[in-house]
Amino acid sequence: MPGRSYSLVSSHGGKSLSWIVAAMLGFGLARAQEADVPERIDLSNFPGEIVDKVVVPIPAEIFAVLDKLDEPDWNSGIDLPEEKNQGKERAVLALTFGSLVGEGFIAVQAKNADEIQKIGRRVLSLSESLGLAGAVRPHSLSIIETAGERDWEAVRDELDSTQQTVRDTMKKLRDEELSELVSLGGWLRGTNVVTTFIADSFSEDKAELLNQPGLISHFRSLLESMEGPAKNSPRIRAISTGLARLDAIITRSGDLSEGDIAELRDISRSMLEEYYFSNSANDAATAN
Amino acid sequence: MNRFQKTQSFNFAGLVAGASLLLGGAVHAFVNEAISLAFEAATPYVEEGFEVREDTWSGEVEPGKPLLVRHQLFRGNEYWFWAGTSWPGASIEVDIFDSEGNSIGLESFAKGSLAGVRTLPQKTGTYFIRVLAKYEGAEEGLTEAEKGINPPVEGVGEFPGTVDWGLVYGYR
Repeated sequence: MPGRSYSLVSSHGGKSLSWIVAAMLGFGLARAQEADVPERIDLSNFPGEIVDKVVVPIPAEIFAVLDKLDEPDWNSGIDLPEEKNQGKERAVLALTFGSLVGEGFIAVQAKNADEIQKIGRRVLSLSESLGLAGAVRPHSLSIIETAGERDWEAVRDELDSTQQTVRDTMKKLRDEELSELVSLGGWLRGTNVVTTFIADSFSEDKAELLNQPGLISHFRSLLESMEGPAKNSPRIRAISTGLARLDAIITRSGDLSEGDIAELRDISRSMLEEYYFSNSANDAATAN
Repeated sequence: MNRFQKTQSFNFAGLVAGASLLLGGAVHAFVNEAISLAFEAATPYVEEGFEVREDTWSGEVEPGKPLLVRHQLFRGNEYWFWAGTSWPGASIEVDIFDSEGNSIGLESFAKGSLAGVRTLPQKTGTYFIRVLAKYEGAEEGLTEAEKGINPPVEGVGEFPGTVDWGLVYGYR
């Protein structure tokens, strides 16, 4: 395909060379059987159908990059809150479920079998509150078992499967909104731990990982279009406000600074304190 | 049990495809064959260290009408996207573009009902995956071999105007 050029420049230190070699090997092989691909398409006037569905990356995707750029102390990132009464608000339970799975991904990165097993049991307990224990139990048992075998890749797969099973089951129950909140909860926990690590050891390469305006916009639209009891929940409104604040920082012109990352960390933490981490005001409200 | 344990034990995908021929697509509501095929395309790459996501995209589309899927990618990860279609005689292609519409695929394949594209994003941000399903036999219906020995039930095997598609991805 004449005229098509590939930029193989990478700024990821020693690993960039192997990527380039791998890319070039793959490039050579691919030429023979490549489909007829346009070099450029007009996104502003696309002659087809735009697919609405948004697949939210799991925290492990961004953790994988952070591991290539640095050696974060993942154990210090685990922060499994004490088990507490989460109330009956299903939107809050769904967010909590997502964040708990996000916690699981952090514990896998830390290769901390004990914490993963605790999280596996907690996932099952929370699924009972959501009325989804039947669907989640096999996954929970598998998380506990594979963590015991220290098969980290299998645990990661199982966490992804768990989240997917819960989301699919919610969709079958026509709870599409709740299903999306599970993704939001996982994304938020992942974003909080990533911003914490980046704020502690800042670099522009790491900060760029937070360039996710499309995802934030998706979550904002989701909360704005919610119906039913969740629409008027003070906690959901607080999360919505938090997303708007995150959005304002990420969509500012220019690269994200160290100060921006610290703000993202603090905002995401305060959002998690609405339903996941301990917050005396919210805990009292739930108890009442 | 993860997806790949499931997929490998799913070698009855051909059987499922055969069943869909007989049932004229009624199976689509229960087993997403296009997604199963896309996961099968992904299976060899798991050995190479790719983590394949459980969440997927799928649907039905008129042949020749391109689809555009938006997705967040992170610089520093390597990605493969795999697409599949289970409609007999249909083919599928997949490619990836940056936010300005420039193709950024480094390697790709398109083998009938399966296709894939690999990329190493140079920036963290939103990217666009284009999926294009084609079907040349819209006027012909099923071949004699596809119809089998028994005459088809009226309407069964007739091209319904759309084909199924599925898209999955993995990263490392």
